[in-house]
Amino acid sequence: MMTRFRYLLVPVLAALLYFAPAIAGGSGAIYSAFVLMAIFAVMAYGLDLIVSDLGEVSLAHTVFFAVGSYTTALLSTRLGAGGWTTLAASLAAALIFATVLGLITLRLREFVFSLVTYAIAVVAATVAQNWSFLGGSDGLRGIPPLDMSFLGISLKAGNDREIWPFAFALLCVVLYLVERFRRSRLGSAAIMSHLNPRLAIMSGVDPQAVRLKVFLFSAPLTAAAGWLYAYQRAYVSADILDSYFLILMLTAVVLIGRRVLLGPLLATMLVLSQEKFLSLGGYADKIVLGSVLVATLAFFPGGLIGLFRRLRSALRTRPSISQEATSLDRTV
Amino acid sequence: MSDRSESFVLRASDLKVAYAGNTALSIEQIDVRRGEVLGVVGANGAGKSTLVNALAGWSRGAPRVSGQVMLDGVDLSAMPPHERARAGLLLVPEGKLVFGEMTVDENLSSLVGMSQDADRRFYDREAVFELFPRLSERRNHLGSQLSGGERQMLGIGRALMLGPRALMLDEPSIGLAPRLVSTVLQTMRTLASTGLAVLLVEQNVRAAIDVVDRLVLLERGRVVAQGPADAMRNDPRIAQAYLGASST
Amino acid sequence: MNFGQQLINGLVMGHAFALVAIGWTVLLGVARLVNFGHGQMYMLGAFVTWFAIATLGMPYLVAIPIAIVVGVLVGLLMQRIMLQATFEQNLVSIMIMTLGFGYVLHGAAALFFGSTGQILDTPLSSKEIAFGDLWLTWQDAAIIVVAIVEFIVLKLIIDRTRIGRLVRMVAEDPKLAELAGVNVRNVYLGVFAFEGAAVAFAGAMVGPRTPILTSMGFDEVIMTFVVVVLGGIGSVTGSYLAGIALGLFTAFFGAMVSPAYTTAAAFVVLIAVLVLRPGGLAAGAR
Repeated sequence: MMTRFRYLLVPVLAALLYFAPAIAGGSGAIYSAFVLMAIFAVMAYGLDLIVSDLGEVSLAHTVFFAVGSYTTALLSTRLGAGGWTTLAASLAAALIFATVLGLITLRLREFVFSLVTYAIAVVAATVAQNWSFLGGSDGLRGIPPLDMSFLGISLKAGNDREIWPFAFALLCVVLYLVERFRRSRLGSAAIMSHLNPRLAIMSGVDPQAVRLKVFLFSAPLTAAAGWLYAYQRAYVSADILDSYFLILMLTAVVLIGRRVLLGPLLATMLVLSQEKFLSLGGYADKIVLGSVLVATLAFFPGGLIGLFRRLRSALRTRPSISQEATSLDRTV
Repeated sequence: MSDRSESFVLRASDLKVAYAGNTALSIEQIDVRRGEVLGVVGANGAGKSTLVNALAGWSRGAPRVSGQVMLDGVDLSAMPPHERARAGLLLVPEGKLVFGEMTVDENLSSLVGMSQDADRRFYDREAVFELFPRLSERRNHLGSQLSGGERQMLGIGRALMLGPRALMLDEPSIGLAPRLVSTVLQTMRTLASTGLAVLLVEQNVRAAIDVVDRLVLLERGRVVAQGPADAMRNDPRIAQAYLGASST
Repeated sequence: MNFGQQLINGLVMGHAFALVAIGWTVLLGVARLVNFGHGQMYMLGAFVTWFAIATLGMPYLVAIPIAIVVGVLVGLLMQRIMLQATFEQNLVSIMIMTLGFGYVLHGAAALFFGSTGQILDTPLSSKEIAFGDLWLTWQDAAIIVVAIVEFIVLKLIIDRTRIGRLVRMVAEDPKLAELAGVNVRNVYLGVFAFEGAAVAFAGAMVGPRTPILTSMGFDEVIMTFVVVVLGGIGSVTGSYLAGIALGLFTAFFGAMVSPAYTTAAAFVVLIAVLVLRPGGLAAGAR
């Protein structure tokens, strides 16, 4: 990338994105779309670390999202807690769940790990549906508007337009954290464990400890998205554990390309734009989303960026006779 | 149909294997003739396994493979591994070469009705047991329960059941006691005398050179020397490879 | 709680679980493939059967093969699309793709069959067999018989036939199998076709027991997962026994504690086993 211009580019892009909903007309629907894009992108970034960096499939991140939402809903409706309290509680709750989950799955192999996380999500959905403490099938209603006022500065958000700055801020914070993670030692250890576990071990990296730590780092990110989502929707119910969120997250992670910082954000924007502005109807949209996910992994596993690169090099050079690998998860 | 006027059974031409721009193997031409044992030697990483894997149509990872592989006049270059095996180019790989969870009998079961080619000999189970009596004593044992030498015999036996025109072995002597090594290598000699073309990849040059007709020396993916075994014995580069292999 | 009745319920449910899980046993054991679309394929089998009977007016015995054929086609299509990833043993891609497929199946089924619950009525599900105050429907009895027969046939095929040997070779080492002349790609296609057929068949047989919804399938995946892992991955006999055990556990737990949380309870049992013995209960786990 153009590193020299990065210091200029980042603030410019950020400003563009911040004012984008206003530029696009500023209606309630536009702001709603942008807020959801930000929230779901943040949700996806948590999973991105697990899938792209660690190389595993965690299907439990929907539970972290739900934990964030339910914690927020419970504390704000039953105890009248404010925005900062609910945020802190959501992050803490996510950490607790992630710890328990991480410890349980510590010694499990790749696909057993994924199966277990899948099952946990389904069980969580059952619990959310049936436990009256969580509102049962009705859910928890009447979540008050977001209030993050402190030191006399009023920071409230009652509708999507007012929530947008908060969503934008959350997105920026998460982008920063993800970038920092990728440059950190833990981030390198994650990649090493992913690409060559044996070599990683011989370099002093403990893959199990790494997996646990990445899990613990990623869970609060997704939970934070759930926290804000509760305020945006003003009610929380078991449908927060619907597979829609999981498929959306996965598509966001793979569509643009692995370990591309803005990838999940761009992908989320694409998917939500289709949903909000080019919808073919609820179930047809499901077919579209699922198909996009499958097609990406089957035909261009390197994401749209990988596809773009391949097209560019195919147009430049003469095509070679033999095959080339297309998968990113190459094991040598 | 096979063209008998050619003296070679197996020929690799312009065979190149490249990983992300790095050439792992670049061979102009290697021939194996009917009834001969061709030895391929070289230090670790010289490309010996890459060569036989590429001939068999299989590669570790996802490299670019180009070039031509001919077997008795038939061009195998576009065929996937299982079709090359059925065409008569058999590889007994290194390491995992038998099905550990099946018995010796099951490992030596024929898969499909083989083509009735007059110039291919399809061994049946009894013929394999005749060649390797030790295996018939262990016929109900699982592959994983066999010793290293027995596994090597079983691997060779399995390949013979597919009626090879050319048989390739990747380092059969690894992990075997010296006496077994010479038994296995002598079997190669015997098989070649029945008309089979044998390509033997070996790190143990000392043992191989007594058994092969011709020798090819690989270094960093290229052929640096080749010739009849007797002539190669005196080649200084072989002595170098020899020293490199003396740790086995 | 009537102990005898719960025993019968447990046995019926156990055979149902085993029937649903049989496709996974082969898929996971042979090709080391995970199919997260399993639940939706089960749902599809049930709905195609329902559609054939309720809308097209076909007899049950004709509807079943139709459902199986649809299942096979779906399985083949899935595997054909995932072939590259299968060869590279790219589990992450495969898992995510099967999740995506399941989601597409859910959307397509809801679009085509509607989102309201339906009852899969068959001539067998309304008739009962009674001994004293214990009873089960003919459908239940059919499930038991069919499951037993299917497991026996599968075991015989895997252990005694040439195809079974091919499948076991690929299961153990695909590369070695290729070098031995086996067309591994066709084996993978065949195994996925079997999964499609088996799970669709299970949908046709077990579907009549409860109302069916196009949004269902998740519980079935968990139960299948529990059965396959408890029984030892790849073990046909293990899956059968684990299925029965799970069925009995579910019946008694549902009667004594709570019917809504039976899946959760089964899952907790599995977690306990996995934590204590990561290889599963049976030996021979891969």
